[in-house]
Amino acid sequence: MKLAELNSGAKARIVSIRGKSGIKKRLQDMGILPGEEIVVQKVAPLGDPIEVIVRGYSLSLRKGEAEDIEVEVLE
Amino acid sequence: MKEIRIVVAGNPNTGKSTLINAISGAKLQVGNWPGVTVEKKEAELTFFDYKLKFIDLPGAYSLSPFSIEEKIARDFLFTGAYDVILCVVDSTNLERNLYFVIQLMELGKPLVLALNMFDEAKKLGYKIDVKLLEGLLGVRAVTTVATKGEGIDELKRALVEVAERKILPKRLSYGEDLDFILERLRVKLREMNPELGKEFHQIGVLLKILEGDRELIELLKIKVSEEEIRELTEHIEKVHGEDIETFLADVRYGLASGVVKQVLSKPEIRKITLTERLDRVFLNRYLGIPVFLLLMWILFKLAFDIANPYVDFVDETISGPVAKWSGALLEVVSAPSWLSSLILDGVITGVGIVLSFLPVIGMVMLLVTLLESSGYMARAAFLMDRIMRTFGVQGKSFIPMLLGFGCNVPSVYASRVLTEEKERRLTIFLVPFMSCGARLPVYVVFISAFFPERSGTVLFFLYVLGILVAISVGIIFHRLFYKGVSSPFIMELPPYRFPTLRDLWVHTWMKLRHFVIKAGTWILAINIVIWVLLNLPWKPENPQESLLGKIGSAISPIFKPLGFGDWASASSLLAGSLAKEVVVSTMAQIYEAERPKEENGEINFLEDLKDIVINFGAKTKEAVVNVFSTFGIATLEPEGPEEAEGLLGRLQGHFTPLSALSFMVFVLLYWPCFVYGIATKAELGSFKLYGQAILLHTAIAWIVSFLIYQLGRLLGF
Repeated sequence: MKLAELNSGAKARIVSIRGKSGIKKRLQDMGILPGEEIVVQKVAPLGDPIEVIVRGYSLSLRKGEAEDIEVEVLE
Repeated sequence: MKEIRIVVAGNPNTGKSTLINAISGAKLQVGNWPGVTVEKKEAELTFFDYKLKFIDLPGAYSLSPFSIEEKIARDFLFTGAYDVILCVVDSTNLERNLYFVIQLMELGKPLVLALNMFDEAKKLGYKIDVKLLEGLLGVRAVTTVATKGEGIDELKRALVEVAERKILPKRLSYGEDLDFILERLRVKLREMNPELGKEFHQIGVLLKILEGDRELIELLKIKVSEEEIRELTEHIEKVHGEDIETFLADVRYGLASGVVKQVLSKPEIRKITLTERLDRVFLNRYLGIPVFLLLMWILFKLAFDIANPYVDFVDETISGPVAKWSGALLEVVSAPSWLSSLILDGVITGVGIVLSFLPVIGMVMLLVTLLESSGYMARAAFLMDRIMRTFGVQGKSFIPMLLGFGCNVPSVYASRVLTEEKERRLTIFLVPFMSCGARLPVYVVFISAFFPERSGTVLFFLYVLGILVAISVGIIFHRLFYKGVSSPFIMELPPYRFPTLRDLWVHTWMKLRHFVIKAGTWILAINIVIWVLLNLPWKPENPQESLLGKIGSAISPIFKPLGFGDWASASSLLAGSLAKEVVVSTMAQIYEAERPKEENGEINFLEDLKDIVINFGAKTKEAVVNVFSTFGIATLEPEGPEEAEGLLGRLQGHFTPLSALSFMVFVLLYWPCFVYGIATKAELGSFKLYGQAILLHTAIAWIVSFLIYQLGRLLGF
């Protein structure tokens, strides 16, 4: 499943990250790495971007970027 | 006295600039990094027998740069001259901060950590074993609360001690395989670059080579064997099943989270934070946007309602008592009439223009800094991103654009909240389409002359037209020049925090100083040029004889298809490039040729001073009343311009309602004023963007006015 498909409140584990090298590298530098837990905290009122919690802090990214993050849903 | 050079690094949102302000007090020097528009802050202070020189780097999440800011940080950390690194760490967000610390440790330079916001961490119930952290990493760590100035002295002591004793961080183990590869790479590097010093053998450099950071390898002028590197990265991919970038991020984050597990204990029951509570409202699905719009309305009102009375105060003081005194003084020394005119109308008015921008820029910077440091700016970006990115900018652009309705000049400064160069330029380029307060006097005069019954509709049409043009230009630019590709939007949403008064003050003061120094002389010079154009050849009999009138006559045919092809309109438009309200005063001057001269009253210095003070008090009262009055936005309420009376009749003789509308549209869209141009030069380092704006905006203005006038005629108006 893709991170972009999750509803707010959903908890998941990151499986892999695709995407262009620069953006992928940035996502990894921000702590989005395979095996990490990620929670979708909020979806913006207009449906995009989304807010996620990873490694204990809040990060926002666009759905376009979240399309490239493959996750498995927990619980 | 011994000098110690300290480079300050850290993630964004760690309170780094608050810490720098707390350390340096008022001794902060702000400039730009060479060749770019990124702020560079430096401070020098004495501490016992040492001279501490702080160089503040832009915030960075990683030494693999993603923005210009991070590139500057990387380049300076790898090649700059410094004795010790001070890394500011957000104690409430240890893991991601330590990921950066680990990269700094790889540089093999003395390193001190400031565990900042330690009070917040305590409040969350976090327990951080600082001694253990120091032991695990081999660095000094000092707990600080920058907002309260806590831990600053101890931090300075630690910096001196670490720099003097050259205490180096531990060389952490990166796992057997990677450590072996790094060793192999080091030997190879030494073979190929025998002339390089041992600072190049730090694992920071080796990891950069392995990562394939070509830009940095070139900057360091080291020779590498591409084939060897490929062999090593392929080995890693085969053994660990990950590409080199993922592998390195994994290793470093692994180390960071390992350290965090040992040094940090969190309470078992997590408290719901203030940030979460606030975001339930601010980012709420239904309330988020209405609350945002309400806040923006308050922001706009505060900025311009408070600033405008003071703008008037500056204006009245300069054109009243100051001009009067100078006039009297010039008479005393019996200066020739051209000289008094040059000094009074050229220089003193010019100084008045510069000073009259200070209240507005000051208020705007104060409020933008407040939004930024409280954490709300990131939320604004989150809320508005979906809309704003359709025309190639991002959510944060909304705020400079909104402020543009008050005045375009502070918008240019406010656009600093955008870190992506492309988005910043595009935002600055679009801002002049927002109809600023200075255009209002033009509309007021023309609307009173031609559309007295439909003033609201016409005014509304003009503001909306500006917005529509901005959106269309944005979309076209985005498609044409950027192929519709938006810059990525990977942004931290930091916790809400109370900014300190000192931060607000320092930031605002820096901007004001910057404006006076960088923009002041330019504005003065241009005002003098306009004076020359208006007054040469000396004392023109008829305004048409002046240089301005002659140029106006020469270019007037261009405006014929727009419905106002006379020299007077053309000349006023030219003069309006200084500031758009000048269009009206120039027209008044032209049509009325001889304006009643203001009588030079009795000079009574004390009396005048008293008046200035009383006026200041009156304006302050006005500002307070403005803020609390709920009706309308002060800047949008047309004041009856005194020069308008005789002018209205003259205008009715020269314009038809249709050509008046076409003229107003032209004033709305054409040539952004010089002060805006000078602000872009001060912020972006060159006049290039302003040059493009002059050409394109004027062309767009011409086309839109042409369409309105010609279509109007076809429809029989």
